[in-house]
Amino acid sequence: MSFLLTCPNCGPRNIYEFRFGGEVKTRPDENTVSAEDWADYVYLSKNVCGVQKEWWYHAKGCGTWFAVERDTRDNLPVVKEENEG
Amino acid sequence: MMKKFMDRFRKKGRQDVRMWHEHPMKPAYDAVIVGGGLHGLAAAYYLGRDHGMTDVAVIERRYIGYGGSGRNTSIVRSNQRSKENIPLYDEGLKLWPELIGELDFNLMFFNCGNLNLAHSEAEAAGLKMTVATAQIMGVRSEFLNARECKELVPHLDITHRPRYPIYGGMYHPPGGTVRHDAVVWALARGADRLGIHIHQLTEVEDILVEKGKVTGVKTDKGTIRTPLVLNAAGGYSPTVSTMVGIDLPVTVLPLQALVSEPLKPFLHHVVSSGRYHAYASQSLKGEIVTGAHMDPWPSYTTHVTAHYMKHQAEALMDLMPCLRGARFMRIWGGLTDMTPDMAPIVSDSPIGGFYLDCGWGYFGFKSAPITGRYMARWIATGNCPEILKPFSLRRYRNYNLQRETAAVMYYTPWN
Repeated sequence: MSFLLTCPNCGPRNIYEFRFGGEVKTRPDENTVSAEDWADYVYLSKNVCGVQKEWWYHAKGCGTWFAVERDTRDNLPVVKEENEG
Repeated sequence: MMKKFMDRFRKKGRQDVRMWHEHPMKPAYDAVIVGGGLHGLAAAYYLGRDHGMTDVAVIERRYIGYGGSGRNTSIVRSNQRSKENIPLYDEGLKLWPELIGELDFNLMFFNCGNLNLAHSEAEAAGLKMTVATAQIMGVRSEFLNARECKELVPHLDITHRPRYPIYGGMYHPPGGTVRHDAVVWALARGADRLGIHIHQLTEVEDILVEKGKVTGVKTDKGTIRTPLVLNAAGGYSPTVSTMVGIDLPVTVLPLQALVSEPLKPFLHHVVSSGRYHAYASQSLKGEIVTGAHMDPWPSYTTHVTAHYMKHQAEALMDLMPCLRGARFMRIWGGLTDMTPDMAPIVSDSPIGGFYLDCGWGYFGFKSAPITGRYMARWIATGNCPEILKPFSLRRYRNYNLQRETAAVMYYTPWN
């Protein structure tokens, strides 16, 4: 169990400093997407019980948006991370 | 462990006093309910009672009532925001006295009334809209000013000392509390007496689908053939839906609640405040039962945090300064399956025979028996009851979201 999240800019910080930004999904092409597919993209989530890739935002810190892999069963950090700048 | 316990009873020749029993798993059932919480047990009970469907299995990975059914703060009410939601909750609230008699179990229904506080003119305006909706729908609800709130709950601080001074409140007399564990036990006993099998410590590993229809459920204790499956798995409902390839518009968030040491009776209503993210009631044992902080990130842990305990202590002392010095006794966490519009998904699905009763977020307790009753009718007859039609899974694709979010300003995980 962990309540730390590693910001690519600030290092490991208390998770309450961050905002969850949703699961990482593939954004459909807005020019061709159907209304139903757009609704699926907006509303549906995988809710993986295990490791999933997510967006996070260091709201009470440096303001960086980043994608991170996290295990939803124990909040444990973070197999790998990448800064999406 | 449970079997050992049962054997000990039998060996000593004592009368079997258990309220529900273990059965060998059959290779086929008419219907399988995934999740031995209140929604699943209620659906099972009403399938047997109203429709004579007793060849039904309830599959529970842990033990019945292990999830949200035993982790909620036991509050019941029917002052929802939207006209689609109120009838179901209203009927659900009126069902408790009937259930107590019918199930022959004291569910400790205490209709002490709920007081939901507003801390600004804007919040008061929101509550007044909710009050008006309730009144139009025939549900007792009224708006009180701060002085009237104080008359109702004398320990409230209505001065300008708190960080968010009390402006007024929405008073809903028919609401209150119900002993949640008792509801689990009573429904389980009722279902068991009808011949329904409750399989505890049994994990659903997969749901079998052929040609777009459900054909069976694979568990760690064997495979069951069945044409009907109800997903009533609460926080794990997305996991179960994924087994048939359905993603849900749900985010699973951890919620925390706690109780204080027992105190002399002083709080005779359920008091809640959206602004403080806090609600509190006094149990019949004297404990202050209070919640609820929601950590705004998906999690399958039932963790508790010092962050929340501090927040809750501050909120309670701001609202009711007499609680200064009272000690918290227990804290626990549970999972909530939150939907974007704060309304549940009670629905059929693109897979034939696969039904959903999930997405309740933190409204699952008060709605359980009544939803089980209507869900049972839907499963048994194949026709969706009128009262459940607004909760279809299709509403998201049709951009026809419900308007419940207005009732729970500041409670949502998204702010």
